[in-house]
Amino acid sequence: MPSDIDDAGEQRLHPVSILFSFAGSLKKFALPGLLLLITGGGSMGGPDGRFGRLPPNIELWLMVLLIPAALIAVFQYLAFRLRYAGDELVIRSGFIFRNVRHVPYTRIQNLDAVQNIFHRLLGVTDVRVETGGGKEPEATISVLPMAAFHEMRRRVFERRVSAGLEGAVRLEPPFDFAQGGVGVSRTPDATGVAPNATAGAPARTLLHLDLRDLLLFGFLENRGLVVIGAVYGVLWEIGFLDGFWGGLFDEESYGRGIVRDVLTTLGNRRLLSLAQAGVLVSGVIGLLLFVRAVSMGWAVVRLFGFRLLRIGEDLRTDYGLLTKVSATIPLRRIQTITIREGPLFRLLKRVSVRVETAGGGGASQNSAAASGREWLAPLLRTAALPALVNEVLPELHLAGLQWQPATARAFRRAVKPRLAAAVGLSIGAAFVLRWWAAPLATCLIAWSVLAAWQYVRHLGWAETTEVIAFRSGWLWRSVTVARVAKIQSVALIETPFDRRAAMARVRVDTAGASERSHRVEIPYLPRDLAASLQLRLAAAAAATEFRW
Amino acid sequence: VNNEASLADGVSRRLDPRYISLQRKTGWIIAAVLASGSWMIALVGWLAEPSRGRLALSAAAWLIGNGLLMWHVHRWPPIEHRHTSYRLDDRVIEIHRGVYWRRVINVPRSRVQHTDVSQGPLERTHGLGTLVVYTAGTDHAKVELPGLAYETALAIREHLLTRGTSDAV
Repeated sequence: MPSDIDDAGEQRLHPVSILFSFAGSLKKFALPGLLLLITGGGSMGGPDGRFGRLPPNIELWLMVLLIPAALIAVFQYLAFRLRYAGDELVIRSGFIFRNVRHVPYTRIQNLDAVQNIFHRLLGVTDVRVETGGGKEPEATISVLPMAAFHEMRRRVFERRVSAGLEGAVRLEPPFDFAQGGVGVSRTPDATGVAPNATAGAPARTLLHLDLRDLLLFGFLENRGLVVIGAVYGVLWEIGFLDGFWGGLFDEESYGRGIVRDVLTTLGNRRLLSLAQAGVLVSGVIGLLLFVRAVSMGWAVVRLFGFRLLRIGEDLRTDYGLLTKVSATIPLRRIQTITIREGPLFRLLKRVSVRVETAGGGGASQNSAAASGREWLAPLLRTAALPALVNEVLPELHLAGLQWQPATARAFRRAVKPRLAAAVGLSIGAAFVLRWWAAPLATCLIAWSVLAAWQYVRHLGWAETTEVIAFRSGWLWRSVTVARVAKIQSVALIETPFDRRAAMARVRVDTAGASERSHRVEIPYLPRDLAASLQLRLAAAAAATEFRW
Repeated sequence: VNNEASLADGVSRRLDPRYISLQRKTGWIIAAVLASGSWMIALVGWLAEPSRGRLALSAAAWLIGNGLLMWHVHRWPPIEHRHTSYRLDDRVIEIHRGVYWRRVINVPRSRVQHTDVSQGPLERTHGLGTLVVYTAGTDHAKVELPGLAYETALAIREHLLTRGTSDAV
């Protein structure tokens, strides 16, 4: 092997990695200097430059910064060590801040070799070790000789096979240089199930949304404001709207000056004339209808021809008018399922179902489903829900869940922040509206009490040996179910308010969850109950082996 | 191996007491940087508009602000130490932390993707290390446990990574 292995069995990087690392800094620091040298153009500094106060040829001086960069490159090279221990890869790095990383072979999802033209000329490669979860590779090894990469791949997969992981490990043929540019060689995912294992299975349509469904969905979901906001932002950027607001507020425009008139009338605390009020009300109704119409358009464009298929052990969704999406969701990769319904959904007996999947190696070929939230059924008849759930998570029996309500003391907790916000708003309004603020304050406070009461009333959680479920929301209700076997960690969180009331919240962490998604995070649990729930869930999760 | 077996006994453990002095030193460094920075600002402010009242005012503010900071830097680490602990058994690692906002994180051993043990220069002089546990989750994808004796950090790492046949379902 070209790279030197010392007595401890540790392997270094290829010495040219100093060059690659330095070249990386060069790109950041030295481009201006190089430009100056090559073009011979004027300096930014000096008496003739644009920034006259800077010394002449400042670009050249900036290159002094490259000396530390070069030193860092050398030290990084000297400090970096790689070792194949019994069943793990050990990576040692850092000179001042030292770090030792142990990556078990069984956890490695992907071993990617990334080569650009210079790598190829020198016969070396960047190696990315991915174990999943994070967005970035868990280790980027820059650079190893090609032979060392093959050695690493051999060792990692040899160990994995002997560790009893099912599935044949395919070693892919060496790089497809025809790709041009950057070549990436990817080994199959750790679960060993080839992505096309179920390719031969017949496809079964579980759900198809026709145009009527999509229009209804758009109407119910009401994304109109988001779309309008986005369009507005774009128009604002290109200066399209300059005339628009002028038209609304301009002194000279008569018909469209309605907004100004209403504002001045309200500002002077006079009552609106009947005509003004009529125009105002119809304007508001018109706007609401317009927003809904935009939302319907959005739904049709985004989800056109939505179809949910089951192919063997995979689900597939196909949709889109302009951007066509075809996402494969392997059933075993589903981490959580979220069922959501708004007030109008309930009226029409419809729900909306999403799942969260974990990326991991193999899924990244499926672009959209690589990681994150996926529509399973944007719009589904409530009656059809059990059948779909049975298809996706056979271990979950929604009707059979024993929902535990929030404690009676939860209302007092929930109402306080809402009341505080309502009182704060009322005080603010009192400065502007004077006595008119009194009815407003009454409404706000009544609303906050009602909202808190309803929120607590609809809180609930349920636990079985297979899943943990959490529901919340009053007008917009969501139920999220996480599989116990997919729980990554369980946290118990106590704020000072929680501690005063001897309460805690339990948060279940899963792969693939996003900021916006409804999570299993159960608030206002009695402290003891929360602690025992946490222990139970963690123990149940520990008893299962996580598989992507 | 003996050490490892004794660690995974389900008993809750405090961090190494040396971590208190390490945190104090880190605190002093930060406090010194802030103090000199704020001194510069106060000086420039005074030079821009020199007057005796202003001098007294900024000197007092500087002294009180930095005094409070120093006091906090000295007093806080032992309080935090009292509220931080970890617990290991054959299935999970549990970390308690937080003085006002408390948090208990429970990571099953079978969910540990990989681990780091890192050591900065100050940690090295105190014989301490930081254990970082990575899971495939989102909120707690990276769980850090600083302030362990370096050997303890290594032992916990060994314990987390040694997987018997029991947890391979």
